[in-house]
Order: sequence, then C-alpha cells, then structure tokens
Amino acid sequence: MEEKAIVVQNLVKQYPKVRAVDDVSFSVDKGEIFGLLGPNGAGKTTTIRTLLTLIPPTSGETLIYNVNTAKNSEEVRRMCGYVPQDVSADGDLTAYENVLISAKLYGMPPKERKQRIQEVLNFLELTDREHDMVNTFSGGMMRRLEIAQALVNRPKVLFLDEPSIGLDPNARRIIWGLIKKLRDEFNTTIMMTTHDMGEADVLCDRIGIMNRGKLATLGKPEGLKAAVGGDIITINSNNPNCSLKLKELGYSAITDSADGNFDLIVNNGETLIPHLLEGLKAKGVVVESVSLKKPTLDDVFLKYTGARIEEGDTFAETRRARQSFTRRS
Amino acid sequence: MKVLSEVRKYFANAFIIAELEMRKIRHDQTQIWVRMVQPALWLAIYGLAMSKLNAMSANIPAGLTYLQFMTPGVLAQSALFVAIFFGINVVWERDLGLLNKLLSTPASRSSIILGKALSAGVRGIFQAIAVIILAVILQVHLILNPLAILGTFVVIVLVSMCFSCVSMAIASLVKTRERMMGFGQVMTMPLFFASSAIYPISIMPSWIRPLAYVNPLTYSVDAMRDMLATGNLHSLPLDFAVIIATTILFLVLASLGLKKMIS
Ligand SMILES: Nc1ncnc2c1ncn2[C@@H]1O[C@H](COP(=O)(O)OP(=O)(O)OP(=O)(O)O)[C@@H](O)[C@H]1O
Ligand SMILES: [Mg+2]
Repeated sequence: MEEKAIVVQNLVKQYPKVRAVDDVSFSVDKGEIFGLLGPNGAGKTTTIRTLLTLIPPTSGETLIYNVNTAKNSEEVRRMCGYVPQDVSADGDLTAYENVLISAKLYGMPPKERKQRIQEVLNFLELTDREHDMVNTFSGGMMRRLEIAQALVNRPKVLFLDEPSIGLDPNARRIIWGLIKKLRDEFNTTIMMTTHDMGEADVLCDRIGIMNRGKLATLGKPEGLKAAVGGDIITINSNNPNCSLKLKELGYSAITDSADGNFDLIVNNGETLIPHLLEGLKAKGVVVESVSLKKPTLDDVFLKYTGARIEEGDTFAETRRARQSFTRRS
Repeated sequence: MKVLSEVRKYFANAFIIAELEMRKIRHDQTQIWVRMVQPALWLAIYGLAMSKLNAMSANIPAGLTYLQFMTPGVLAQSALFVAIFFGINVVWERDLGLLNKLLSTPASRSSIILGKALSAGVRGIFQAIAVIILAVILQVHLILNPLAILGTFVVIVLVSMCFSCVSMAIASLVKTRERMMGFGQVMTMPLFFASSAIYPISIMPSWIRPLAYVNPLTYSVDAMRDMLATGNLHSLPLDFAVIIATTILFLVLASLGLKKMIS
C-alpha cells in the first residue's frame, strides 16, 4: 500500500459538554488538496488541532507520513505548516521578523535562512512591505504573511484553517492561486477547511463534509455533485404537446407546469441540449428558451447537513472580523 | 550525543522565543521607561523618608544606612512587580491565537516558557540599571565593582524568571486577563511585605516571619544585599540555591499548564 500523507482512524475528541469529533476516519494522499467542509461547530478546527498535536485526542489514531502524532509529536510538527483560523501573525513585529522567527523555530540553518525568507516573501508578494509593522497590514496581507510563515520551512503537509475567510474576492483569488501553485510546483499536501463552496469546488481534489463531529460524506467534488442527482435542463415551450413529444424522444419531464416549463434530469446536460433541440424541432415543437442547471456543492451540503452554508458563513465572518478588531485596538 | 543535541535545541528555542520578545520591546520602548518610575519613587521618596526613622536604623545590620539596606530591596521589588503580571501577556497571546501558532512549531512547551521567562528577566535588567543609577545620584554608598553588578543582574534575571513562571502557571489556571490582573494584585503585596525588602525580618510581626523564610524574594534581596551593601558573601550559595530551585519548580509547573491553556 502506498504511504499516505495523512491517516485519521476513528478519531474522537470529547469535550465535557460536546463530542467535537465523533469517530472520524479518512486519509489524504501525498500532493492532494483535501477540504473539510462543514457548518460552524462541525469539528473541523478540532480535527486539525489534534493532527497538529495541539490537543490530545480522546481516542483514535492519527498518522502524518506514517509518524504517529501521539508518539512523536515533535517530528510531526516539524513536517507540518499551520495557518490557524484566527489571526496569528504578530502585529508588534515586522513582516520580515515574523517569518524570521518562524524560520528559526523550525531550525532552519542560518546559511539558508536569508534566502529562503526572501523566497517566501517574494512568493507571497510581500517583499515591498517586509519591514513594515504587521499591525498596519490589511486582512489579505495578514493572511499572506501567515501563509509565508507556514511555508518557510517547506512543510510536507500544510494545514489551512479557513484560509480565505474575511477576504475580499480579489484577495481570495490570490490565495487560491497560491494554494494551487504550491501543490503544482512543490507537491505539498494541503488540508484545508472552508465555508466557501466555490472555494472548495475550485481547489479541492477531494472533500469531506463534516456535521456535528461526524464525517457525513467524502469524495471528489464531481462525484458528490453527481450523487445528488444529474443536471437539470429546463425547457420553455408554448406547445401543449411538448410533454408528449419529449416522451416520444425518450425523456420524461419531472415537472410539467402550466406556464410551459419542463424540467428534465439528465447527465451531461451541455452535450445533450443540441440533440434535444434538434429532436424537438423535427417534431414541430418550438422552444422559447432553454436553461441548464448543474448541481453545486451547495446542494450536496444541503443534502448532508440540512443547512445552506451561507448561514454559517456570515457568523464566522463576523467572529473573525471582531477578532481582528480587538487585536488592533 | 543525542541528549546533548536535544539540550542544545531546547536552549536554542528558548533563546529564539526570548529574541521575539526583545524585538517587540525594541519596536516599542515606552513600557521600559514607564516601568522605571515606580521603583524610583520607592527609593527617592519612601526610602529617604524612612531613613529619618530611628527605629528602622536601629534594627538593620550594623554599619548600613537605611538607603544602603533598602536599595537591594527596591531592586527585587521592581522585578517582582513586573514579573508577577507576566501571565497576562500569555493569556493575551492565547486570545489572539499567537500561542496556538507557537505551539504548532517544533519548539517544546517548556522551551517556550523558558524563553518567555528569560525575556521577563531581560526586562528586569533595564529597571535594575535605573535603580542603581538613581542610588548613585542619591549618593547611596554601594559596592559597585563589576562582579557585584554582574551578580546583581543575575539575581534580577532569576527572580524575574521565577515570578514570571509563577504568573504563567497561575494564568494557565485562571485563563482570563481580568482574573489574572486580580491575582497579580492579590499576590504582590504579601510577597513584598513578607520579605526583607524594606525592613528587616526581625521587626516583622512574628506570625508573618515563617512566610518570609519560604519567600524566594527574601533570598534574592539577601543575595543582592550581600553583594551590593555588606560585602559579606557567605549566605550567597544558599540564596542562589533557593532562587534557582524555585525557578525550576515553577518553570515545570508553567510548562505543564501551557497544555491546559490552549485545550
Ligand atoms: N476548548 C474547547 N472546550 C470545549 N468545547 C470546545 C472547545 N473547542 C471546541 N469546542 C466545541 O467543539 C465543537 C467543534 O468546534 P470546532 O472549532 O472544531 O468547529 P469548526 O468546525 O472549526 O467550526 P467553525 O466553522 O466555527 O470554525 C464546537 O461545538 C465547539 O463549541
Ligand atoms: Mg473552525
């Protein structure tokens, strides 16, 4: 069996009042971008913190590159980089100093250090602000700095806890580009959590959806979406025989509303539409409009957690905004 | 060989943490200056006033003026008053998420505590310098040879480390800044009064004397008094032994507490 980057087996974390992580098992391949998705309080952060040996699990076993996190915590921490959910760069130091201290704590030899720090600052486009105090940074720059700190020791596994929360769309896209680049150029294994469906869809090779401490489902984004159901093609036509003609062509509409909308559930909607339209035309049905809706991760999320993700998102956003506010004041 | 490299790594990490704190002080030096005010007042106002009191002068070791007697006490006091609130910084860093990040690095828990304690020690030195300069200005006759000054700095660093570890250990139990503030205030005065900092143990109320003998502050005052005022060094080994042992004890307790702090 090929060695995995991360293995989590029957992980349980019981707090006095809540079971934050409840018998979770999964594994992550080397070079994979793995996303944990879930509403607030699902146990995403707790899972990451146990993997990083910050909190001891109640039971279960976790391995990183075959090293047992309970038995050799220092070696595990040496292999990993961590960008916590909360702001974690030190506002009372410059950007350069923040990265310098990280480099030193990871035991980087002085000879390589200078060059390596310049490399990461450059990679994260912070070079022109490197000697500015961090408490003057914007949220996006702060996040990039935190990623720089986590990357300076070239981690084999990078943990990103909600990397783009609280950032504007532009800053968000910059971070996404970086994450992709990291994996493509350095084959870094990345485990991230997010509330953002779009982000998970764009970035992650595989996604685990967590809810109330349990792993509700796990798979590739396309697979998860397919499992929710196929694409939906909606045809609008004034022809009263439309439903019948569709049947003759071998399709059955799930809805047949009075205003002339017909919904079909199909696979590969975009390749099907031309054939469908030609078929209907041949049968003399005039189609006014046609639309295609692909299932989104949001639909997947809704199915497994019974909640739309937006609700959680705003709350977490406020919390983060509030935290960054207190640290500045 | 393995042990040796582990030990080296341990101290290297502690020094990196201390460096981090020092860099912060370099960016914002106001706190250093502000903290020089209080010990200066103790010496220049309280000390000068008390030296007029005959009862006090009669009970201090023969040959010493009250200010000579008191200067080492003020040195220890200045270290204590700052270090005992050190835990607040750690709670603050926990709240900010900085501690989380530090603990995710390979540095061990206790090397992080040791580094923070060392930084408290270095802060203490700045105040000590201010007190000594003021004493010179007030023409307090002190033994100021390089060895005595070096020894004094060592004691200041140790006593700051000791009480900052006490403070961090308490912080891991109380977990909020407000409560930590309260605990600091409750502890400073008893520690200060139950020591020989500003009056000899012989004139204390008798019930408080045993307390003075288990108070590490007493031993640090004594060590500095031996080096700076009397020049009689034979209790020095005991003083150092007590201070070092309590520092290690609280270093261990604070390190154990650090785990609780973030879980
Ligand atoms: N130190 C703690 N003590 C007690 N309960 C805790 C502690 N940390 C987390 N919990 C609880 O464990 C559960 C999972 O929390 P966790 O932070 O892992 O969720 P999350 O999925 O990261 O949520 P979010 O999206 O809000 O970050 C929550 O119910 C939380 O209240
Ligand atoms: Mg979280």
